[in-house]
Amino acid sequence: MNNMTSQQRKLVYLIGIIVLLIPIIWLSLPSDGKNKPGGVLSQLRSQYELGESDLGDVDASSAAMNLVLLGMRGVAVNLLWMDLDLQKDMKRWAEMQATTESIVRLQPHYEKVWDFNGWNLAYNTSAEWDAVPDRYYWVKQGAKFLKRGVERNKRSTELLYRTGKVIEHKIGYADESIDYRRYFLSDPDPAFNKGPDPTINPEGKDNFLVGKEWFDLACESELTRPQHILDRSLFRATPARCQFDYAQSLQKDGKFGEETRAAWEQARKDWTEVYGREIYHAQIGVEESDIRLEMTEEEIKQVAGNPDDELRVRRAVDAYQKMTNYRYWRTRAFAEAEQDTAEAHRSIFEAKQAYKAQEFDNARKAALSGMEGFDKLLKRPEYAILVEEDLLCEECLLGWKIWDDIYKVAGEKIPDEFPLKWLLELKQGNEQLMASVNKQFRRLFQDNR
Amino acid sequence: MYFDPAENFIYPPYAIYNWMIVAGFFTAVVLVVSLLTLLVSKGSSGFGVFFTELIGMLKDVFSLSPRRIWALTRLTFMEAYRRKALAVFVVFGLLFMFAGWFMGDSKEIQPDQVKVYISFVLTAVSWLTLPVVLILACFGIPEDIRLRSIHTVVTKPARRIEIVLGRMIGVSMIGWLVLSVMSVVGYLWIVRQIPQASQELLKCRVPIYGLVSFKDREGNYGKEGINVGDIWAFRSYIEGATKSRAEWRFFNVDETMLDSEGNLRLENSFSAFRSYKGDMTRPLFYDIKLFNIEHPEISYTTQPQPVNEFRSKQDIIPRKVTVDDVQYDILNDLTTKGSDKVPKGILGIEVACIDRDQYIGMARSDLFIRMPDRPFWVGYWKAIFGTALTVLLVSMIGVAASTMVKAPIAAVLTAVMYILSGKNPHQFMDQLVAGQVQGGGVLESVYRLVMHLGPSTELPANPAFTVVQIFDSILMNFLWLCKQVIPRSQYFNMPEYVANGFDVPWATSLIPSLLVTSAFIIPCVMMGYFALRTRELESK
Repeated sequence: MNNMTSQQRKLVYLIGIIVLLIPIIWLSLPSDGKNKPGGVLSQLRSQYELGESDLGDVDASSAAMNLVLLGMRGVAVNLLWMDLDLQKDMKRWAEMQATTESIVRLQPHYEKVWDFNGWNLAYNTSAEWDAVPDRYYWVKQGAKFLKRGVERNKRSTELLYRTGKVIEHKIGYADESIDYRRYFLSDPDPAFNKGPDPTINPEGKDNFLVGKEWFDLACESELTRPQHILDRSLFRATPARCQFDYAQSLQKDGKFGEETRAAWEQARKDWTEVYGREIYHAQIGVEESDIRLEMTEEEIKQVAGNPDDELRVRRAVDAYQKMTNYRYWRTRAFAEAEQDTAEAHRSIFEAKQAYKAQEFDNARKAALSGMEGFDKLLKRPEYAILVEEDLLCEECLLGWKIWDDIYKVAGEKIPDEFPLKWLLELKQGNEQLMASVNKQFRRLFQDNR
Repeated sequence: MYFDPAENFIYPPYAIYNWMIVAGFFTAVVLVVSLLTLLVSKGSSGFGVFFTELIGMLKDVFSLSPRRIWALTRLTFMEAYRRKALAVFVVFGLLFMFAGWFMGDSKEIQPDQVKVYISFVLTAVSWLTLPVVLILACFGIPEDIRLRSIHTVVTKPARRIEIVLGRMIGVSMIGWLVLSVMSVVGYLWIVRQIPQASQELLKCRVPIYGLVSFKDREGNYGKEGINVGDIWAFRSYIEGATKSRAEWRFFNVDETMLDSEGNLRLENSFSAFRSYKGDMTRPLFYDIKLFNIEHPEISYTTQPQPVNEFRSKQDIIPRKVTVDDVQYDILNDLTTKGSDKVPKGILGIEVACIDRDQYIGMARSDLFIRMPDRPFWVGYWKAIFGTALTVLLVSMIGVAASTMVKAPIAAVLTAVMYILSGKNPHQFMDQLVAGQVQGGGVLESVYRLVMHLGPSTELPANPAFTVVQIFDSILMNFLWLCKQVIPRSQYFNMPEYVANGFDVPWATSLIPSLLVTSAFIIPCVMMGYFALRTRELESK
């Protein structure tokens, strides 16, 4: 040991503490937010946007929890995840939600945690409930959870996309989508007085339009913060695709007036004038060039620079168009803007309604009218591409199925020639499409017999 | 509820009989080993020493002084106070100040959220109290020995058994004090957190359960229904529009089970499973048939009722029911009248699923006769009583362990015993002992790990593996022995009842918990005393 007295030793410790404090204070000097940038740590934090407030809204409880746990956060989180899994298996939903809350307090900036749990609530938990309003409650919980994730992680492009996806896809395309879409506008919870839940739908819009807003935000964010979910060309198509979904949903709801026409027109603009004019990079020759999905001849020549590269530019554009199904949707948007198309949709819709009401004569007439309308439309050379895709064909064949079934029910002979016969023959071998048509027919009508 | 309370039923005479066998055997082993040790170390004079010590011990046991025990209890209490054991209130205060932040918005409270609030309070109270008790129990005596302050006690006319008892009671009292303060605050916190409009959610339902059996689609009896693929196979499912049924038998059904208006209240929490979605806006339906098990033709079937999944649903059956213009009295006509073969008061209830190709799931505890509710505080304080028993148990085990080994080891031993006392560890140990766990015992598992052999791979039959298996079976038997002295804390799981809105039952929770705690009193005190008496207190 040494010969120092206790008091001397304490003095030495004090001096040591002061000496060590000087660099610590210098390094961690806080910024005043305006003039003084603060110490080195503060400057680096601002430079790399690592501060809590840079990442998103600061949750005091979350920050306190993380500090209190010191180095044990990982252990605590693991235990909570195990609990979550068990509670999910045992269908202890309230506890599961509470555990989810605790996990996000401990991992507030771990995007996958928000993503996984939001999905879990909206897709898995909702499916465990039997009553549709209960299912919708959990879908909403998932969407709200993801929305909170966005608020806590403002730099996350992917969470913006996921939020939009739940609102667009889960609400718009679930088996219960008719009810979900209705609930999105008029919530079954009496607390909302038959209005929408303002947390996810403050302006009372259609779910596809709200989804589109989220996808717009995601695309805006994607310009500075890349995402890893989809190919960029597909990712940037999502807002416009949402507009298409909206227009189609109006038709499904039996709306064929100005509102639907305007929705298709907007979809066409979004597709060709906004999405089609987005810039993508393609390897043309030795250099990377900017191309667009919608390019004029002049633009192609300008990008190519020489006749050899023109072909390469066309190929690159074609590849992108095929990947995003660009030409189909462009043609579809033009076709849907025509009055005859709207009438054909209306006729098929009326056929469904009449068939449901067992008004077979009216149903047969309406179905035939719809089939004639689509027959005329699809035979036009400029819309030939619509036959290549199953989407519109499914509706056409559903109309035929109703028409055909009424003949069978009545015990009458089906005419040798009928509209869309060529389409039926063409698609007869497409098992997936025919199964889908049959399934829709069964689910929609057969129970009503 | 996610468990069947009947799993925790203990038949007290049988439990006491078993305890006497184990305790007697254990005492005999201790005495024989002690005698042999003395004979080996001291030769024939060992006999004298053995009997002198034995008589001394018995004298100590029969001359306990409550005054001295109380003095030692107070000493333990004061010591714990000086060691700032009550600082746990600071943590408790902090936890409850900010707990509301983690629990969601109480304006939008859902029935399920009440469950979370109650669970949180009861869990927090026990998780804050038990570590304090564990540390005080395990560090008290070893610290006294280390600091030699124990000499100030043992040189007085206090007997060592009184030191052990004083420690156990003192530590428990500190735990109970902490527990009571936290419980009162916790109770007020729950009541304050739940909005006035939702206060009716704070209740204690009193269920009467029956016994269930299932019938398959052909109408044949079986223990279970259909598994629809749930990972958690707690509920069995019955198929709609077939002869598949869930059949309950309720015993001793009499007028006390009717409500004030003379109705029989049946409550269920059935689960729905659709094999196809169909019309999602239409719920699945079930009906309930009440019947006389001696004369099944005397029955009454309710109208189809919708399943209210994950929530409770009540079916109120009037006492007098009419079937085809014939009036039946549920108690007189549908319950058994009593004979040589069938006891009196058995009511048969059959549940059927109405919808074709759809399924309704249920467990035994999913249908019960609901008696009048009790106030929330009844169940709450019963649950706190359960935690108080756990405090006593931990302090007894901790003090007993601390007389034998050093403080940190005693703390680890007690903590491990507490962790292993849960339902899942006991189940795992049961499976291990019964040879139901694939992969074999310790040595076999090590061999498989080293050789990269899966648990289902057959091992070659040769003498080496026979030896391995014999060694493993010896270890397994030792594990079986250890398992018998590890308490089963599943009986103390009272917060689950309260959180799910049920009263804590005596038969399946309070009495088993009391029995388990009582079972440890004499062994722990005697072990502690024996160890302290035979221990050289000069040795640190």
